[in-house]
Amino acid sequence: MKQFRSRVAASFFLAAVMTLVGCSGGGSSTADPGGGTTAPGGQTAEGSSGGSQGGGEQVTVSMHSWRVEDTAGYAKLIEAFEAENPGIKIDFKPFKATEYNTILNTALQSDSGPDILQLRPYAPGISLATAGYLEPLDNLPGIAQFPKDVLAAATGKDGKVYGVPLSLNSTQFYYNKKIFEDNGLQEPKSWDELIAISKTLKEKGITPISFGAKEGWLLSLSHGVIAPGTYNGNPFVEKLVKGEVDLTSPEFLKSIERMKELVPYFPENYVGLELNDMRTLFATGKAAMFINGSFELEGIQKLNPDLQLDFFPMPTEDGKAVLTTWVDGSYAVNAKAKHKAEALKFLEFMTTQKFGELFANEFKRISAVPGVKTTDPLVNKMAELSQSSSTPYIMVVHFAEGNPTTKQTLENALQGMYLDKMTPEQVVQEVQKSAASWFEPFKK
Amino acid sequence: MDLKTSVSTRAIQYALAYLFVLVALYPIVLMVASSFKTNMEIFANPLSLPQSFSLDIYRKLWEVVPFGDFLLNSVIVSVTSVVLIAVFSAMAAFYVARFSYRWTGVLYFFFLVGLMIPIKLGIVPLFLLMKDLGLLNSLWSLILIYTASGIPISVFILTGFFRTLPVELEEAARIDGCNHFQVFWRVLLPLIRPALGTVVIINFISAWNDFFFPLIFIQEDALKTIPVGMMVLFGEYETDWSLLFAGLTLSALPMIVVFLLASRQFMEGLTAGAVK
Amino acid sequence: MANIGVPKRQTITPKGRLRWIVHLFPLPALIIYAMFVVYPIFSAFTYSLYEWNGIKQGVFVGLKNFLTLFSVEPFNTMFWNAFGHNVIYFLVEMIVQNGIAFTLAFFIYRKLRGSGFLKVAYFMPRLLSVIVVGFLWKLILNPNYGALNTLLTNLGLGSWAKPWLGDPDTALLAIILVNCWFGIGFAMLIFLAGLQSIPEELIEAARLDGAKGISMLVKIILPLCMPAITIMTIFTFIQAFEAFELVYAMQGSMGEPFRSTDTLAVYFYRLAFSSAGGGDVAIGLGSALAVVLFAIVASVSALSLYLMRKREVQH
Repeated sequence: MKQFRSRVAASFFLAAVMTLVGCSGGGSSTADPGGGTTAPGGQTAEGSSGGSQGGGEQVTVSMHSWRVEDTAGYAKLIEAFEAENPGIKIDFKPFKATEYNTILNTALQSDSGPDILQLRPYAPGISLATAGYLEPLDNLPGIAQFPKDVLAAATGKDGKVYGVPLSLNSTQFYYNKKIFEDNGLQEPKSWDELIAISKTLKEKGITPISFGAKEGWLLSLSHGVIAPGTYNGNPFVEKLVKGEVDLTSPEFLKSIERMKELVPYFPENYVGLELNDMRTLFATGKAAMFINGSFELEGIQKLNPDLQLDFFPMPTEDGKAVLTTWVDGSYAVNAKAKHKAEALKFLEFMTTQKFGELFANEFKRISAVPGVKTTDPLVNKMAELSQSSSTPYIMVVHFAEGNPTTKQTLENALQGMYLDKMTPEQVVQEVQKSAASWFEPFKK
Repeated sequence: MDLKTSVSTRAIQYALAYLFVLVALYPIVLMVASSFKTNMEIFANPLSLPQSFSLDIYRKLWEVVPFGDFLLNSVIVSVTSVVLIAVFSAMAAFYVARFSYRWTGVLYFFFLVGLMIPIKLGIVPLFLLMKDLGLLNSLWSLILIYTASGIPISVFILTGFFRTLPVELEEAARIDGCNHFQVFWRVLLPLIRPALGTVVIINFISAWNDFFFPLIFIQEDALKTIPVGMMVLFGEYETDWSLLFAGLTLSALPMIVVFLLASRQFMEGLTAGAVK
Repeated sequence: MANIGVPKRQTITPKGRLRWIVHLFPLPALIIYAMFVVYPIFSAFTYSLYEWNGIKQGVFVGLKNFLTLFSVEPFNTMFWNAFGHNVIYFLVEMIVQNGIAFTLAFFIYRKLRGSGFLKVAYFMPRLLSVIVVGFLWKLILNPNYGALNTLLTNLGLGSWAKPWLGDPDTALLAIILVNCWFGIGFAMLIFLAGLQSIPEELIEAARLDGAKGISMLVKIILPLCMPAITIMTIFTFIQAFEAFELVYAMQGSMGEPFRSTDTLAVYFYRLAFSSAGGGDVAIGLGSALAVVLFAIVASVSALSLYLMRKREVQH
C-alpha cells in the first residue's frame, strides 16, 4: 500500500518536472529539449497501443526465449502456427542466455513479463512455478502424451505441470571420423580404449580432445558424460536420489579422477579456452574429439559443413554404453498473461507431431514430442539412444538447487582441480557438502 | 614558465609519452584493421594488416542488424539526457554555490551521495517505477535514468566552477535590473561554458555506452540503442569474428567522431573546472 | 559542525520582489535525482530486511540476511574473497593507472610538443563502451590466437605467453590492467588540471630557493596537487569498489576461473539475478550485500571529502 502511494507521488513529481522542462525550454532561446524529445514520446504511444489496434480481432502474443541463435528457425515455426490461426500473431523475442534470467525475473517481479516464456529446466524453472508466476498446464490437450520423466523438468512441487517440453538434450563425445580412419582408430568400447586412442593421437601430433576449463558450465557438462561411465548409469542414480549412497562414494570420486586423467590430452592452454575456441579447434580438424551437447551439432556443422562428424555414447565399466540426457527448456504461460487463451493455443501447437518434426529438422535437435523422426542421421541416432540407453545428467536433473547450486559448486571445484588448487577428494567433499545443505535424502 | 630539463630527460619523456600513445591506440587500430580481414586471416595473423580493403563486411552488418535504428535511438537518448543534465545541474549548482541558506550545504551533500550510489543495485524498484509511469519500452525510461544518474557528478563539477567565478559580474547585471533567471541565462551560462563542455562529454560518453538499462527496459528491437543491439550481434554471430570487429568499430565510431570535434572544448573545460 | 560543502565566500543574498524564485533553481535536478536514483536505491535496501522465496517477497526478518552474509558458508567466504579483489582492484589502479596518468600529465605540463594530440590519444579508450572494451580485450588476450600471445611469440618471448584470463594468477590482474588502459586518459586530465592550477609564482619561488628535479616534485608540486589527487583517489575508490561491467563482460557472473575474478558487485549480481545456468536467486542476501557495499563506498568517500574540505579551509 505504502509503496503504491509513494509511486503515485512519484508520478506526480514527474508530471511536475515535465511541465517545468516545457516552461524553461519555451522561455529561453537556448537549448530546446522539447524539439529533441518528441520522438521518444511518439514511439511510446505507438508501442502501447500496438497490442489493441490492427485488423479486427488480431491478437499479439509475446514470447521470450534465450535462444538468440535460433531466431530464424523460430520464425518458421511461428509462421506455421500463424497460418493455422489467422487471428493470432506471435511476437518472438530472444535475449542473450546470460542476461535472460535477469530480464525475465525483473519483469515477473513487477507483474509484467511476456505471455509465453521459455522455462529453464528443473529446479531453476520450477522455482518460478513455486512463486506462483506460471499457469498450470495439466488440462492442456496433448500434454498427456509426454512421459513423466520428461514432464519432470517442468513439474512443480505441487505435482502440477507448468511447461511443454521442447526438446531432449544429450551430451556426448563427438569425434572426427576422418581423423579416426586416417589413424586406424575406432570408437572406444571402454575407458582404457579411450585413453589408448588419445595416446595414439597425441603421439601423432593431433590434439586428442578439444577441451577448455574457462567456462564452468562446460566442465559439469563434460563430467555429465564421463561420470555415468564410472558408476554404470541408472542403478547408481536411483540409489543416489534415495540417499543410499552419496557423492563421496568411490564411483563418484572416480569420475572426478578421470576428469583429471584426461588432462594430458587437452589442448595447450586449455584452462583459458572458451566454447568458441573449443568448437573452432574441433571443427577445423585440429582436435579429434569434442565433448559437448546435442545443441552444438548445428554450430559445428555450420562452422565446417564438410566435417565428417559422428559421436559415441560413453562406455561403462560393465561393458555397456550410455548416453547422458535431460530435458532442455520448456515453454510456459505467464499466470498474468494478457492473452492467456491464445498463449495456451500456441503451447497446444507445440505438443503436435507437426511442430515436433518442424522443430527437429530446423534445429537438428531431438524433439520432446514422442516418435518424431528427422532427416539428420546423427539426430536420429541420438534420439534412438535416448530411448534405449539413456541416463540422466544428474547435476541438472537432481542437483541444480542450493545457493550456489550444487552444480555450480562442482563447476567451481573442477576449475580448482584443473588449476591444481584442489584434489579430486576435495572436489568430492565440497560437492557433497553443498548437496547436504539442501538435498533432503542426504540430510538424515 | 621554463623548468630546466636536460636533453636526455627530455628524450625519455618523449619516448614514454609516445610509447603510451601506442599502447592507448593500438587495440583500437587492431579493432578497425581486423574488421577488414577474413576470419581465416584473423586466426592466422592476428597482428598483420588486412590484405585487401573492402566495405563488404559493413554492408553485411547493415543487413543483419538495424543499425540505423540503433544509431537514431542512441542519438535521441544521449542528446536529450545530456541537455537535461546540463540545464538542471547548472541551475542546481548555481543555487548551491551562490546562496548560503542553512540547507544549501545539506543539499550539496545530498547530491554528492549520488556519486557513491551504485544505481544498478536498485534495478527492481526502478523497473516497478518505470512500469507504473508507463515508460517501459520507451526511450523516456532511459532518458530519465541517465539524467538522474548524471546529475550528481555534474552538480559537483559545476558547483566547483561557479565558485571560481567572481560575483561582481552578477551584481552588476542585477544592478542593471536583471532578475535571477536573466542573470543565470544571460550572464552565468555563457561564463560556465568550459565546465558545461566537460559535463556534456562525460555524460554523453556514459549515456552513449550504457548497455544495462536498455537491456532491462527496452524490448522492442526498434527502440534498442547501439550497445544493447550489438550484444545481440555478439550472441547471434559469435563465430564470425570479422563481422564482430566491424560491429565493434561501427558502434565506437560515432562517439570518436563527436569527441574529435569537441575535444578542445572538453579538455579546456576539464582543466578549468573539475578540481577547483 | 563545519558546513561541509559551502565555504563562506562569493555568496549572494537574494533581494527584491521575486526572490522566492531562486528556490526553484535546484528543484528539477533534485526531483529527478530523488525519484530515479535515491528512491529506487533505498527501496532496494529495504528488500534486505525481508525473506525471499525465489523472486517473491516474504516476511520481515530484520537483520537475518546480514547475519547470513557474514556468518554462513559459503556466503562469508565469497564475501571476503570478493572484498579482497576489490581492494586489489583499488591498489593496482592507484599505482598503475594513476601513477602512469600522473607521469604523463607531468610530462605534458612540462610542455611536451604535440600535447593536444597526446591528450586526445590517451583519452581515446575511454570513449568505447565497456562491452566493446571487454570483447576487444578478450580477443586480444585469447590464449591461442590472440594478438598478445602472438606478439610475445614473435618477439621470441613465447614462454611468456599465457592463458591470461584462464589462469587465476593473472585473470584479475589482466582485467584491472584493461581497466587502467581504459581509465588513464581521464585520470591524466584531472591531474593535468591540478598541475595547471598551481600558481607559477610558487614554483618560481621554490626554484629560486634551490628546489629542482625530484625535490621540486615531491616538496612543492605534489602537495599543491593534493585536491586533484584526492578527487582522483575518491573516484578510483568508488570505481574499484563498484567494479562490475568490465569483469562481467570479460569473465561472466561466476567470477571465473575459480572465483579469482569475483568482485562485490559481481557477487551481488549473482545473488540478486542468478547466473546464466539458473540456480536460486537470493534477493534478500543480494540487497544486504548492496547495503554493505554502499556503506563501504559512502563512508570512505565521504570521510575523504570531508578531510579534503577541512584542509582546504585551513589553507
